[in-house]
Amino acid sequence: MSFATALLENVLSIAEEKNAKQVTKIKIEIGDLLLINPEQLEFCFEAVSNGTIAEGAELNIEFVPPKIKCSVCGREYNEVVGVCECGGFVGVDGGKEMIIRKVEMVV
Amino acid sequence: MHKIEVDAEIDVLSLNKRYAKENREFFRRNNILAINIMGAIGSGKTLLIEKTIDSLNYYKIGAILGDVVCKADFERVSKHKVKAKAINTGKECHLDAHLIHHKIEDFDEVDILFIENVGNLICPVDFDLGEDVRVVMVSVTEGDDVIAKHPEIFRLADVIVINKVKLAEFVEADVDKMIRDAKNLNPKAKIIKMDLKENLGFDEWLKYLEGLYVSRCNREG
Repeated sequence: MSFATALLENVLSIAEEKNAKQVTKIKIEIGDLLLINPEQLEFCFEAVSNGTIAEGAELNIEFVPPKIKCSVCGREYNEVVGVCECGGFVGVDGGKEMIIRKVEMVV
Repeated sequence: MHKIEVDAEIDVLSLNKRYAKENREFFRRNNILAINIMGAIGSGKTLLIEKTIDSLNYYKIGAILGDVVCKADFERVSKHKVKAKAINTGKECHLDAHLIHHKIEDFDEVDILFIENVGNLICPVDFDLGEDVRVVMVSVTEGDDVIAKHPEIFRLADVIVINKVKLAEFVEADVDKMIRDAKNLNPKAKIIKMDLKENLGFDEWLKYLEGLYVSRCNREG
């Protein structure tokens, strides 16, 4: 619900800048490691946007994986591990962002 | 009337990040070691704060206690004669940097500030409060797979406390497995085996905490 509320506030401020009458589509990128369930986000967004110009807007969600790579041998992993088979530390970069990329609106 | 598409690059979590940065600056400015304690309900977070206050009584300690409703934790900690504040989050299951922002100004005199997060292992992880140290407390009674099942919070912890280890045999929990899981997810974290009621591992925690405080002061100096 916090994510849906923060998303709505940001979308409304973009829409207000353009004097929009209605927001119809929102394209967002979400890092995999935020572990957000898209159906829950859509449901919460529907609830918080009720009565605003973003009511009924379609959420177009793209999930972005983090880069998980051993700091010693450079081996890449698809899931989070702390230690590589070579014994090196595995670094995790990204995967925690939630970025609004495009907002479609009626002006 | 027509449709337009506006390109944007807006970080939805930027507001929390901004407040976290301001909180962090406040802690640095006032030489405060801020500790965010996270963990499930009943893992021992409040007791750890209470016992630490009693043991490190030569430090000025403060505490912010987050809870969904009620002030039970706040009342427990207040009995130890330190400055404490309660935050009720209602339906929100975590503290965020903005909620803390309103409270920290009252703690500018303390050396160590404990921030007890709302009891769960999921929601608090994505909300940086501006703390110096993230402690995750877990008890063996939650099951020995609890660390593997909640990778994110343990991956981002600075300290992982495994509490109630004396109960492990009664609940058939494998403490070594918990330590292995923690090390695999987060090899850099400090891991402390603890049984707070029996004082096991508590000295190790106190020494670690004092070490952090000293290194913080040296960094400031």
